Parts: sequence; structure tokens; C-alpha cells
Amino acid sequence: MSRWIPDEPGEEAALLDALGISSTDQLFTDVPKKARIGRLGVGPGHDEPEVVRQIDRLLERNKPLAKFASFLGGRISARYSPAAVDAIVSRSEFYTAYTPYQPEASQGMLRALFEFQSLWVELTGLDVANASLYDGATAAGEALLFCRRLHDGRRFLVPASLPWEEKSVLRNYATGPGLAVEEIPFDDRTGRLDLDFVRRAVGTGDVFGLLADVPNGFGHVDESVADLKGLLGEIPFVVSADPLALTVLEPPGAYGADVVVGEGQGFGTPPSFGGPLLGLFACRREHVRSAPGRIVGATRDVDGRPAYALTLQTREQHIRRSRATSNICTNQSLMALAFVVYASVVGPRGLAELQASIAEKARTLASALGGIDGIQAPRFEAPYLGEFTIELQRGTAAEFLDRLRRKKVLGGISLADPRPGATDRAARILVAASDATTEKEIQKYARAARSAVAAVGRSA
Amino acid sequence: MTFRQAAWDEPSIWDLAPARKASAPPTIPGIPDRLRRKEAARWPELSELEVVRHYTRLSQMNFGIDTAPYALGSCTMKYNPKVSEMLARRPGAAGLHPYQPEATVQGALELAWRLERLLAKVTGLSEVSLQAAAGAHGEWAALLMVRAYFRDRAELERRTEVLLPDTAHGTNPASAMMAGFTTREIASKDGCVDLAALRSAVGEHTACFMLTNPNTAGLFESDILEIAETVHGAGGMLYYDGANLNAILGITHPGRMGFDVAHLNLHKTFATPHGGGGPGAGVLAAGEALAPYLPVPRIAKDGRTFRFDYDRPKSIGKIKTAYGNFGLDLRAYAFALTHGEEGLQHVARRAVLNSNYLALRMGESLPRPFRRLVKHEFLLSGAPLKARGVRTLDLAKRLLDEGVHAPTVYFPSLVEEALMIELPETESKRELDQYIAAFARAVADSPEHLRAAPRSLAVGRIDEVQAAREPRLSWKDLRAAAAKVETPGPVGPAP
Repeated sequence: MSRWIPDEPGEEAALLDALGISSTDQLFTDVPKKARIGRLGVGPGHDEPEVVRQIDRLLERNKPLAKFASFLGGRISARYSPAAVDAIVSRSEFYTAYTPYQPEASQGMLRALFEFQSLWVELTGLDVANASLYDGATAAGEALLFCRRLHDGRRFLVPASLPWEEKSVLRNYATGPGLAVEEIPFDDRTGRLDLDFVRRAVGTGDVFGLLADVPNGFGHVDESVADLKGLLGEIPFVVSADPLALTVLEPPGAYGADVVVGEGQGFGTPPSFGGPLLGLFACRREHVRSAPGRIVGATRDVDGRPAYALTLQTREQHIRRSRATSNICTNQSLMALAFVVYASVVGPRGLAELQASIAEKARTLASALGGIDGIQAPRFEAPYLGEFTIELQRGTAAEFLDRLRRKKVLGGISLADPRPGATDRAARILVAASDATTEKEIQKYARAARSAVAAVGRSA
Repeated sequence: MTFRQAAWDEPSIWDLAPARKASAPPTIPGIPDRLRRKEAARWPELSELEVVRHYTRLSQMNFGIDTAPYALGSCTMKYNPKVSEMLARRPGAAGLHPYQPEATVQGALELAWRLERLLAKVTGLSEVSLQAAAGAHGEWAALLMVRAYFRDRAELERRTEVLLPDTAHGTNPASAMMAGFTTREIASKDGCVDLAALRSAVGEHTACFMLTNPNTAGLFESDILEIAETVHGAGGMLYYDGANLNAILGITHPGRMGFDVAHLNLHKTFATPHGGGGPGAGVLAAGEALAPYLPVPRIAKDGRTFRFDYDRPKSIGKIKTAYGNFGLDLRAYAFALTHGEEGLQHVARRAVLNSNYLALRMGESLPRPFRRLVKHEFLLSGAPLKARGVRTLDLAKRLLDEGVHAPTVYFPSLVEEALMIELPETESKRELDQYIAAFARAVADSPEHLRAAPRSLAVGRIDEVQAAREPRLSWKDLRAAAAKVETPGPVGPAP
């Protein structure tokens, strides 16, 4: 029997005695016989060493990123996180805590979350941040619903270049209230948003919000985002931004963003096959009562000392039920803690320099790939930071990436929607440089890419 | 027990270093000037030791399961095994990118597949997806599946209503609203669903009935088979909120009780840590009718190879980035593997034994509204305290002074001044007896002490009303308040 259930001799008997019963069976007489099950059929339990052996055997069948020259990015980052971050996140006063419903007993977490909120406010140039949402995609979904609370209309505009996953998530958020997610076309040469499309859509009077991502789904920084608020006027404007990019880019609040969401995993949380992640959300002060999620506020205790507590809870499901701004309860607090610890250990200068150095590697990578016949790299003529998109002139992204993998290169993320019936079949690949990228790896990628393209050419 | 929490006079992180004039961050070639940051983000430059010391001090002003029993009802605050923490940090788990080629993540896919199969058995439902990030996320996704199902049957126009008992978790009605349904609450009778009220409420407008069983009063809904028959008879779906699954592991399961779809909270029943509010992991399980609507991708097994299957034409699509909180799924798998068949049964039995013992003994201090067998949790009413000028809130704060975490308070609303208490299977009888004694001391304490509590923590009683009246939500607000140059503006009317 597991050590996790206490079983001191006589202990269970004493509990049963106190209740005047002889067996735990008597605790389940309220479960009707017809509802009872026999066995679950899940097999026997194991002691700790055996559990470790079995799980390690599975994990050994994985090949972690470190075994490759990896150029995988997108919203998920494998950036190095200083050991100090995990040391703090591993403090069990933090990770074994529940939601701070009793604020006096939970000042540590509340204060860390308040610092996290403050940091996201600083990076975005907005006024208020919440204490986290599930991930960047669901934060965008919550932003969609938030915009609808602020403005009438049925249509929500997003770039056609947004990753297919995020579009799918957004469409799910839009389904319940019967809203439509519409795609803004992009210029084929630059990948930039078609502002005329936006202008015409706004003219119909039926648009209740627009989301643009910085960098965009192709990895590029599209200057048009700075013109969007001018076109939108009163219509809420959402920017989905990468937090590291915001250490070198203008805060979106400065060019009119009403909401800034993002994926915060790259600040101190390992990729872990895609979860847990960290959804970031900030908005303007006048809209905070429409915001989703928990918010920590500063107040005082009875003796006048500074103290912190969850606040504005009348927005939330446990108070307002079906009229809440969102159903969210559990969020990603521990990842929010990692975010603020990571940023504090690396420091604001360190973060901006990190982004600059990754951007430099990305430029080296682009010029190494750009010279290869059969690959357009970058595909779009637009500035970028750490990532850009390439396009293959022959063959599929899947075949190309598989050939690279066999040479120990993870060459990027195919941007195609993998669901049958998806229409866009362009062989576009999002390629990311990272802090770990070396000159040698870049050359390795270029060599592998050259031979992969040649092989595809031969087989075609 | 005498108890004193650390009370560091610790400044906020931005007060640890003097403010410096912000310089411009480095320029990235090609970035247009209007999008270039002109001033570096204001955040302190600190040594690593300063940062570590700051957050270590903060951690010492926080309760966790490792420091104190956490009697929060419906939260199932059980021990978070250390071995799971160790395993989740292995490079073969933490160091995987979700978009690596499938050939390089066969072990992760197999682990997820195995956990799905195991949870299918635990729930008695045919298919499982691990994509949901948390319980509420799973509720919403499941209701979108119900929506898609009725759309396919051309019944969505009339099936617009989700029914729930008045004891439902707040997430249930909020999820129903987000999924585009209206909600109607069914009044409880003696703490359980009033079958007659349900029968008169269901009809051709019913899309779904959402139920937690055992419910939030800690009672098993013994009419569950009749409830299922009633909902199905009206053509509706039955939804299982798995927040309280811990009490029935191996005794019964949602499938046998007649549920069509369920979510589980791995951060409750399967012991993954809750991180001070998150992360969670919200499994979705569906029976045959709804399984085709589960989010993509699903994990498929071809011979000995695992792959993502996107070919699910009826799927609702994606509900989040990647495939779910894999780091938590791994911990849950370690929990399940450790316990196995006998262990999981023992989990439920011991959790329910603890709960009934606590109910018996703590019921000597305050009245218990439903004096029956309870499951994972039970309710007490703090109403008698009012005669002494004391409320349940005061009692909760006074308990903190005993070095234990308070129960959930003021929920569910069907009990006046409610306390909802749960100490799961990982608490020993000694811990239970100490909690019972602490509770008795707190109840018996003088009204002055109760109202003045807590007195042993980093701060005293917090003015939460003030926090909402004059919201100060970031460093920016604190700066503004300190400078008094710009008072924070209004936060707008409540929606």
C-alpha cells in the first residue's frame, strides 16, 4: 500500500470504531447497488522505485530538444531558465498552496502575483493585468469575449496569418455567443495586414473587436499594427504580444491597444510538451470590471500594514455565476510566479540584450538559408526578431522536416493546418533562432536543408 | 499548538533597488522606429541573491499543503508526491517541445495514451482527452461538444437550456453561459436534487443537466439512476463535474451512473500540485455519443507507434495551445501507477472515512445540516455563532491562528454561514484529531479574539472591502497613489 495513505497499525480501526462501524463498506450504503462497479481493471500498484523505472522507460523513448539542433519556436520557447527560477518555483510553500482564498495566510503568493501583474503592466503600457489565464490562445479567446462586452457587433477580426490552432481556439470562444471570427488577408510579399480590408469591415458597423499579433504568426513585426487603432476608433483593439519582444518593442498601449494578451511560458517555465503554459492579459483601467480572471489588489490590514488580496471578485464565477465575466477559476499562478522571478533574475537589461542577441542569430540563420535554391527565406519581406517564415518551392513541409530530423535538425514548425480538408497547402515553415543557437548549428541546418531540397527535387 | 508565521518586513521587488533613469534598449536592425521601444521597461536590476532572498521570504509567508492541513472543501488538498515533481523535471518530459516530430516524442505520446486509457476506466466513459487546462475549461469544452451534437441533430434551436442544482460550483453556470446556453437552477431537497423538481423542469428545451456527485454538500445523490433516466428521457445530456470524484474511485463511476460526458480535476483527485491557484489539468471524458466531438488532436496507436490523429470531422477543434498540461498529466500518471486498483479504491475509502470521522467530531462544535453519511466533505453551519456576535468568517480567520488552513466558507449557499470541510486520505488520524481540537478551541474562543483574528500571520485581518472600493492593482497604481500627482481614475460601472 502506498506510503501516501497513513496506515499506522490500529489507525483505521480507531476511525471505524469512533463511527460505530466495522468496515468502510458501510460508508457507501448510499450508493445504489445498480450503480456500483466491480473492478476498475487498472492493474496493480507499484512501489516508488518501480514507478520511477516505468516512467523513465517511457521518457527515455523521447528525444528531448537538447539532442538536436532545434529551430522550433512559435509561441512555445525552450529558452534557458536560470536554476534560481526553478529553485523558487520548487518551494513547496508556493507550489502546494491552493488559491489564496484566505489572504492573511497567503501573502507570499499574493505579493508575487501582484508583482507579476505589475510587470505585465510595465511591458504592455496598459493599466491593469490579471493574475493569469491558461495560455496565450485562451487569453486571446477571453479577449474576444471581453471586447464583445465593451462593444456591439458580431464580427471579430484576426490576421489570416494567425496560427491555425489559435484561430480554432478563437472560433470556439466565439461559438457560444454566436459571434464570427473573420480573417484579415495579408500582402503576399510582405505578410502585412490588408488595412483596406479592415477599413471596409469597420465601415459595416458590425465589428466588435480586432486582434493583431506582435510578432505575427509568420514571426514578423508588422508595422501596420501601429495604424490599427486609428482605423478602429472606439472598437476595442487587442494585441497578442510576445513578452520578450516587448522588452525591445514599443508597449502596445502606446499605439492604442485596449487589451494585450500573450503567451508567457518562455519566462521561466520549461516547454513540457506544451503545458503548463501561461496566459497573459492586461487591459485599460476603465474596463477592469469587464476583465476575466482573478486580480490581486493592494490594500491594508487592520493595523494599517500593506497587505494584498484577491479583489473585484464580483466579476467572477463563484460570486456572479452565470453572469460572471468568465468561467475561469484555476489559472496558472505558479507559472506567473516563474515569469516574474525569471524576469527579475535576468533583469530588464539582460532581457533586452537576450532578445537582441537572438535576433542577430535569426538574421545569420536567414542569410544562411536564403542562399539555398528551392527555399525562399525569409518568405516575407518584413522585419523580424527571433523567428521568420521560409517557404519551400517544391515538396511538402512534412517531408522536408522529416529529412532534417534524420540529420538531427528540428527545422521549424509547419504552418499548415493538419486537419483533413484544410485548404492552405503552402509549404511554409516557421523557423526560430534561440539563445542556444550556435553558428555551427546554423551551418548544420543549411547543409541539411540543401540536401533535403535536392532530394525532394530528385524524387519529384 | 502555538504557531507564528514569518512576518518579514519585506519591500516590494521594485523597492529593493533605487529607481534609475531608464535607458533605451538595444536597437534591432530593421525594426521600424515607431515600433522600437524608446525606454527600457522599468523593473529593478538586482543580484540573483537579492531575487532569491526576496521570493524565499515571500514563500515563508504562505501556507501550503506541506506546511499545514488544508481543509478547503471541494478542493481535495491531498499530499503532492515528491516523486512526481522529480519525474516531471526530467529532460525527457520538461525538455520536449510540443511541435517536435511525432517520432521524437513516442514516450510522451504513450504516457498520455496510457493515462487516457486509465482514466477511461476510472470514469467508465469510452474516450478521454487531456487537452483541457482546468476543470472549468473542461466544462466549457464539454458543453461545446453538447452544442455541436445537438446542432448535428438539428435540435440546437430548441435545446437552449442547461439545468443545474442550486449547490453547483459557480463554474458550472458560468461555463454554460460561455457556451451559449441559458441556465436554470433546480432547488435542492435535503441537500440533494429534488427529483420531482427536476422532472418538471426537463423538456425539449433541455440540452444538459450538470451534476456533481457526490455533491457540494458532501452527499451522494442516491437518486442518480432516476436522475439519468429523467434527463435522458427528455433527450438531454448528463454532465459529470468531476471535482468530487475522489470519494467514489472504484466504488462507482460516471459511466455506470449514466453520465454522458465528464471532466476531472487531476489537481484534486490525482494529487497534482495546485501552485497557489494553478496550474490544473482538466481531463475530458466522453461516452459514445459525444466522443466524436472531443477536441483534436486525439492520440492514436498504430501497432507500436503513437501519433496525433487530426482526422476527426465532428471534433470541436482546439481548445488551447498544444495538447494539455503534460507536466501535470505525468504527475497524475505517477499517482495512478503507484496506487493501482487496490490503492485507488483505498483512496476513496480512506478519504470518506476521514470525512465521516471529522463530521462526527466537528459536529460536536457546530450544527451539521444533513446528519447522514457523507462522502469526501461535509457542511457545518456557523449560524449559532451569530448570537455571540461572531460570524463564520471570524471562525475561519481564527483557525489560521492555529496553524491550519480554514475550510471553504459561505458555500454552498443553501446552508447559512456554511463551512465546507474536506481533509482527504493523506491526512493521518493524528492530524485529524489536531484539526478537530483546533476547531473546538476556535469555536470556544471569546468573541473578541475571534473578531481580532488572525494574530499569528504576516498580516492581520485584511480590509477586502477597501481593496475593491479603491482598487490598486499594480505598481503603477501604487506609484500614482504615492506621488498623488495622478489619482487612479474610476474603474467604470459594474457590468
